[in-house]
Amino acid sequence: MWFLTKQFAVRRYFTHCLSALIDLVCGTKRWRTSEFVLASLVFVQTHSLQDLQQPAVSSKVYVQRDYSSGTICKFQTKFPSELESRLDKQQFDETIQTLNNLYAEAEKLGGKSYLEGCLACVTAYTIFLCMETHYEKVLKKIARYIKDQNEKIYAPRGLLLTDPIERGLRVVEVTIFEDRSIGSGR
Amino acid sequence: MPGFSGGVIGGGVGGPASAPPRPFRPSRYVPVSAATTFLVGATTLFFCFTCPWLSESISSVVPFYIAVIFLFTLANFCMATFMDPGIFPRGKTEGDTDDFRAPLYKTVEIRGIQVRMKWCSTCRFYRPPRCSHCSVCDNCVEDFDHHCPWVNNCIGRRNYRYFFLFLLSLTTHIMNIFGFGLVYVLHHRHQLDTPHAAVTMAVMCVAGLFFVPVAGLTGFHIVLVARGRTTNEQVTGKFRGGVNPFTKGCLRNISHVLCSPQAPRYLGRWRGHEALEVQPPFLRPSLTEAQLEAKVLDNGIHNDRHSTRSKISLDQMESQSADIEPPPPPKPDFRYPGLPRADTEESSLLTNAPPTPSMYKYRPAYSSPGRNHATPPHPIKVQSMIRGESLDSPSPSILQSSRQPSYRSEPSSLDGATVVGGGVGVHRGERGEGPGGPGGTAGVVSGVSGYSLTRRSYTSYPSSLVLSIGGSRSSSQRSAQTVHNPLATLQSEGTTDTSYKSLANQTPRNGSLSYDSLLTPSESPEFESAAHELSPQNSPLQGYTSPFLSAQIAQQREGQLLQGSTTFSSPHRAYLRAVSPPTPSSPEAQHLLQHKQDVISRNTRNLSSLSSSPGAHPLEPPVSPPPRGLSLSKSPSYTGEAGPQHKPRPAGGVYMFEVNHLTSISLSPLSPSPNGCPTRSTSRPVLANHSTPKPGGGVKKVTGVGGTTYEISV
Repeated sequence: MWFLTKQFAVRRYFTHCLSALIDLVCGTKRWRTSEFVLASLVFVQTHSLQDLQQPAVSSKVYVQRDYSSGTICKFQTKFPSELESRLDKQQFDETIQTLNNLYAEAEKLGGKSYLEGCLACVTAYTIFLCMETHYEKVLKKIARYIKDQNEKIYAPRGLLLTDPIERGLRVVEVTIFEDRSIGSGR
Repeated sequence: MPGFSGGVIGGGVGGPASAPPRPFRPSRYVPVSAATTFLVGATTLFFCFTCPWLSESISSVVPFYIAVIFLFTLANFCMATFMDPGIFPRGKTEGDTDDFRAPLYKTVEIRGIQVRMKWCSTCRFYRPPRCSHCSVCDNCVEDFDHHCPWVNNCIGRRNYRYFFLFLLSLTTHIMNIFGFGLVYVLHHRHQLDTPHAAVTMAVMCVAGLFFVPVAGLTGFHIVLVARGRTTNEQVTGKFRGGVNPFTKGCLRNISHVLCSPQAPRYLGRWRGHEALEVQPPFLRPSLTEAQLEAKVLDNGIHNDRHSTRSKISLDQMESQSADIEPPPPPKPDFRYPGLPRADTEESSLLTNAPPTPSMYKYRPAYSSPGRNHATPPHPIKVQSMIRGESLDSPSPSILQSSRQPSYRSEPSSLDGATVVGGGVGVHRGERGEGPGGPGGTAGVVSGVSGYSLTRRSYTSYPSSLVLSIGGSRSSSQRSAQTVHNPLATLQSEGTTDTSYKSLANQTPRNGSLSYDSLLTPSESPEFESAAHELSPQNSPLQGYTSPFLSAQIAQQREGQLLQGSTTFSSPHRAYLRAVSPPTPSSPEAQHLLQHKQDVISRNTRNLSSLSSSPGAHPLEPPVSPPPRGLSLSKSPSYTGEAGPQHKPRPAGGVYMFEVNHLTSISLSPLSPSPNGCPTRSTSRPVLANHSTPKPGGGVKKVTGVGGTTYEISV
């Protein structure tokens, strides 16, 4: 069963339960009934966890920010090595480029943002209670795009993109799921 | 106003409070309450007592105008107080051991200037540039300016505009109050005993009292905005000796502050995403023909990925080597029997065509002399690549840089490096070029150290240079793109997969960067002998940073080093764990690289700036007191608030290019420079960066900001 329990946490849990049961059997530790029940339940649960269809998270790759042009929001287009076996470079490139373009659009110092600022000043910033800022609108667009990419490209390959706004626009987190269907070892 | 330092009063107020789950510190609210009281109270009194007469005698526009300014002030005050300044959500890490594994600093290049990002242990990520951790709020804030006690909030990216406008409008408002109050008093100077006059005079006094510090602060921030700096950067003296990478010119800086779109908040966002089901079977990218061929030839021992990459390059090399050159003399690896054949792999790989596609791109024409030796290619090759990966970087960039015209003027140590691609290990000296690119093997290094470069006698360089190059080249399979990625792709948020336990100032004794040497310390005596030529305590990588190394190359190298070192960790973690000895040393290597890069870039920047300033004298800068003790004379409370936050990070505020600790921050230069906005500080680095190496070599001690001392080998 060890090779099935790839998740370290689960394995640890399993070990704990196993040792608990061994203690019980050997009588080295006095157990309360509740503890025993809990331990066995956990044991059972750990076992059943592996039967769940949810694939385990193999690892996470972080695409860092590209600060070469300053503090504008831009992500590195360098293809992470861990994704080489899962994804085409062009697809990844395209995703990151699109994200970069969207963020550039969000942060653009254009007439629209200036007008928005003036309007906010004039209304003593009460306009923010009613209106959505330009950046927020683009963020929604980005969230839709990421969801779309996940559905079409990444999820079928066992990957999942996390919206960088959830990480404070510091990284794009790509979660790699375990591929148990083929024993490819990765 | 200076007496309102919250701490003084807070000591009495907060003392007797019991210990609730979240410590409630009423002292924090004293300054903001006082500010609100004064602002609203004084203005209200003014409106009640002075304005009726003003509207009658002058015009009714006057109270209207004052009211508008007052409302604007109040609105900005509320926004500055209640708006999230740009707090970063805490980073997620897997396991708490990761904290120990994170190197303290990560270097990134911003517009050609090396900037260090520090690991925030509270927030668990590397602080983005311009981000700082506020000790009062216990949060990392984006574009951190300062923590303002008068609004009881941090001023950061999102609310800096409102804070700035608040200062401007408050100054205007105070001037209005004082001015119109003066008009009233002058007009009623014979009736000063009336309550109206008395109140007006009292309000005038309050206004006059607050005017001096507020106007001073406003002027200070006007200069900061024009220069594109934050208060934190100004007070910690980050750009005192150097160039501000964040400035875009005066007008653009102003428009960025005032007209940029409102930045989003990171906390408290509505997460509306539904969980996406990710189910196997998963698609795989289709293999190219070359990869398929590689798979066929693969002995299937190891991972597809590695075999694919390595095999492609090997194939290419083999096809070339047969035609181009005869096999080289055997490698001197007999000296180090302890090292596995991987070393020959590395050396052979290093000597010619790159073993990886990325390297191959740059030096396609050369053969691999060592190819004949490396007959069981894959497992060993993979191992060597894995091991050498920690030093992945300089070579592709170096190779690439060799193609750049500006590189031609580089000294031969780098030429030697560039010819690494063409040369064949230690025995290519006859080509008239520098040392070849042997692998990270000690043996090779020792052989190389015997070489003298043709043009200049940097004998100390080749060994370490070759070391790093060797290690890096063998592992450069990761660096498909080389030049423009100085920022290493950390496999985790900064820590998770980086299996290096590194502390801030560790330096391996042997000064070697090769992973092989770290693996097999028995071989290190060779390195030590080479390293001694440089300096006893500094890494050879420092010494090998030639004084003439261009910033570009250094940065490329650093970037590649970082890349390699970090990409090294994650995929091969399993491998690392199996080999216990490397683990303690690899974090050192990692941090060593970091440290070296720091020093390299520092050296580079200093030297490049120095070369432009004939008047600079290469002496140690005088050690002066920390900058935070010297900040704004005009607003002491401001200093007080800025000070405690910066204290915990004495060295954190140092930017790469600024090694010298300069004298006090003088406020007078803050008056706008004659040209308008180009910073005066640009003239500073010419004189200031004088941590030059002496031509005779040795170790130079330089004092950085905050009193930290650096030893730089020259």
